[in-house]
Amino acid sequence: MSSPSLTLPSQERPAARRRRLLEILGALAIAATYVYLVLNQPSDITGGPGSASALIALSGFLAGAVLLIVAVLPTLPASTLVLIPVALVLNIVLGQFVGSTLVPFYLDAIGTVLIAVLAGPAAGAATGALSSIVWSFFNPTVLPFAAGAALIGCLAGLAARYGLFRRFYLAPVAGFVTGIIAGVVSAPVAAFVFGGTSGVATGAIVSAFRAMGDTLLAAITKQALISDPMDKAIVFTIVAILVYALPRRARQQFPFLRRHRVLAGKAPAATTEAPAQGAARDN
Amino acid sequence: MTASSPRTAAGPDRPGRLNPLTLLAAAGSTAVITTAAGSWPLSLTVLAASLGLSAAGGTARRVVAAAAAILVPLSLSLVMLHGLFFPEGTTVLAEWGPGRVTAEGLGFAGRRILQLGAVVLALLVFSFSVSVPDLVAALSARGVQGRFAFVLASTLTLLPAISARARRIRQAQESRGLVVTRGLLSRVAAFRLQAVPLVLSLVEDAGTRSAALEARGLSNAGPRTSYREVPDSRLQRTARAVLVLVAAAALVLRLVQAGASA
Repeated sequence: MSSPSLTLPSQERPAARRRRLLEILGALAIAATYVYLVLNQPSDITGGPGSASALIALSGFLAGAVLLIVAVLPTLPASTLVLIPVALVLNIVLGQFVGSTLVPFYLDAIGTVLIAVLAGPAAGAATGALSSIVWSFFNPTVLPFAAGAALIGCLAGLAARYGLFRRFYLAPVAGFVTGIIAGVVSAPVAAFVFGGTSGVATGAIVSAFRAMGDTLLAAITKQALISDPMDKAIVFTIVAILVYALPRRARQQFPFLRRHRVLAGKAPAATTEAPAQGAARDN
Repeated sequence: MTASSPRTAAGPDRPGRLNPLTLLAAAGSTAVITTAAGSWPLSLTVLAASLGLSAAGGTARRVVAAAAAILVPLSLSLVMLHGLFFPEGTTVLAEWGPGRVTAEGLGFAGRRILQLGAVVLALLVFSFSVSVPDLVAALSARGVQGRFAFVLASTLTLLPAISARARRIRQAQESRGLVVTRGLLSRVAAFRLQAVPLVLSLVEDAGTRSAALEARGLSNAGPRTSYREVPDSRLQRTARAVLVLVAAAALVLRLVQAGASA
């Protein structure tokens, strides 16, 4: 008699469902906050700081980002988990460097996009959100952008999953589109929480639109539409260069790369491995 | 008891040693309340109090340096943006080409800078005075996954190590003849020559580390034992609860007010 009760009941299924629920809740929180902000924007933007919009932007986006982290982090394999701190440091080191120069770019997502391409959209989203939270230890002003960073990671992972990194010229295109979406989502944060942008070069672009009589949100959204797509196109190109430069042994650690054939010319590992071993045996 | 290192043993004697979660609650609720209130006298008070606290804690120089790096470009940007171009403003102080300096614009920029400065300083005082190992231990004890604690601690310790490695790679490339000139192409080439070896070595290291962590049961389920004792008391637990409640109340009050006026 084989009784199934001899083994412990599997905890996997309810846990997976709960995580899926958290993921959906997180995405919903971010989307709902954005829709609310855009619908209710003009009335209280110049109503002084402390406006309700700033609080809603902060709490809604942060709650969404935290939910995503809680949902995704336990599911990541160790090889991805140890890369997250590395990605965060790359984000911080490169972002800090560019942020202090007079270029209207940020380049603060290289690590996030790298993880997304190597390990998939969920890992990318978690890395983006975590990056903002950990970076806020040194620079609290990046904290409200956690949702935007998560979105960038998720979109980059989707681009990799559907083969946009297989052709070298498609990577900047994917970056450009990601930048448009991410810029539009991040603009209300800059407008409502900060009342402007944190860099002098981006501030100059916003000033130009304000001089033409735009509302603050419109001016910042247009600035984001100028800066972000270019910025993300550059970031995606840099990441494509980096990923193609990785030796095969390093790439083998990431099942996502093999399963979805993310990179050009790399047939699934099983088929490339076999002839190589055969050749070695022949010699 | 092996768990009590000299630092933990000295804990109760030093009044300044608080539970990191109490510090976090204090900084976080200060930030929330300042944002919710949006009154410049309160912002100014928080600003002064944060500076005083960091001076008392001996971290004033680092906090001020970090805050200046964030707030100076932000303030410049806001003053330029709202000082010169504020179409909603009516009291024109000066006109210059397309730019109109309005009192409303300058006031808006000033209030925003004060408020953001207060929030940034309050949070920076926390992050420069907290002991990261204590924070990680306190978070794990509260049931926050070990994985989040790992990411936080690992990032904070990797940051100086990776900066040092980036410097070494630059020196190595320079000794092989890398000269960075002002041209864009030369900079891009220099960036590639430094970034590719850096990222390759980091991914390689991460692979080794993941094998080591896996061998030590990182992915295993179940409770973990922490050998680090974090001081805590009933008073601090109460204080934390009160702080969180006050912050939530401020948030709700502000939203209700906004809802009533809209």
